Amino acid sequence: MIVKIYTTPTCAYCHAEKEFFKENNIAFQERDVFADAAARQEMIDKTGQLGVPVTDIDGKIVVGFDKSKIKELLGLK
Amino acid sequence: MYDLIIIGASAAGISASIYAARRRLNFKIITADIGGEVATSGEIENWPGVIHTNGIDLADQFRKHAEANKVVIESDKWVGDIKPARPAGGKEGNIFVVSGKNSGGSVFEEKAKTVLVATGVHPRQLTIPGEKEFKNKGVSYCTVCDGPLFGGQAVAVVGGGNSALESAIMLADIASCVYVINKNAYFKGEKVLIDKVSKNSKVEIIYEAKTQNILGDNFVNALEYQDKSDQMHKLNVKGIFVHIGQIPNSGFIPGIELDEVKQIKVNMRGETNMPGLYAAGDVTNIPYKQIVIAAGQGVAALLSVVDYLNRNH
Repeated sequence: MIVKIYTTPTCAYCHAEKEFFKENNIAFQERDVFADAAARQEMIDKTGQLGVPVTDIDGKIVVGFDKSKIKELLGLK
Repeated sequence: MYDLIIIGASAAGISASIYAARRRLNFKIITADIGGEVATSGEIENWPGVIHTNGIDLADQFRKHAEANKVVIESDKWVGDIKPARPAGGKEGNIFVVSGKNSGGSVFEEKAKTVLVATGVHPRQLTIPGEKEFKNKGVSYCTVCDGPLFGGQAVAVVGGGNSALESAIMLADIASCVYVINKNAYFKGEKVLIDKVSKNSKVEIIYEAKTQNILGDNFVNALEYQDKSDQMHKLNVKGIFVHIGQIPNSGFIPGIELDEVKQIKVNMRGETNMPGLYAAGDVTNIPYKQIVIAAGQGVAALLSVVDYLNRNH
């Protein structure tokens, strides 16, 4: 399973989501859309919007830190 | 049954929880998130004992401080209703039924002798054409979250208080230029912030201007405002950050007394019109929405809860 999270350095929900991944031992790639213009464009192409966090779990996209949806896609209880 | 349920886990709720733990109350926190508006408030330089921090770190410290006192925090839960289980005025004191939804949609219900509501506020919207349509497509209510997406672009901030000023300061470091649209002829915020914004060469302040329309295709590309002589003007901006005040999260308690702007009415002990039901922090009618005030008010309400439990249960 490949988990990518698109973040900005100052976004509280991004931070909370990364903490959630760590607590649940989920390996993830972080894409900082502030520092990396290509990541920003990639996020816009995937979602057509500019809100963070965006999570990509094996190509399935979640906008915002929607914990129940993310848990479902990760197969967590 | 719990002695107390605290709803909310930011400055007021967490401070109350630390005191409740030290008083050995049987209690827990039920909350949507941890840190609330504190977590999204960027740089923080007025929390005593910490010269400089930010919203994310302070919210983290809040959580850790509560956990160090073995406070149970149940997050991702949205309280939808609080009802007294017995009529008020009886000898035995009230019991409250607190119910709502978990993040997956299932329902929960808890009983407690007292409840402390510390649910805070959420950002007010402009309610103008284009605002809903372009939310997260250029329109944002959280500069700290979304500001970094607008590197090198022109943006606008709407508002005239501290939040708008802080937003403009942050964006001036990221964006190519920042228009601040203030409907008044002056700013209501702190002098130190007003000075920073006024002196910043990347910021242009537009006073006495009413934001009227948000325009764009897939994303925002312009904002229209009306000046004091009713002339319309168009600004080409990619981002619009709305910081025009807050709305209390107070609409879920039947029978509770609210003021004209929907804040829960409390006295200096944090008591509401319903015996056993307390409120603290930004959701109340106490003036000045500040983290340090919310924290103190949370403690005052908690100590009132202890007095009440000793007298009534």
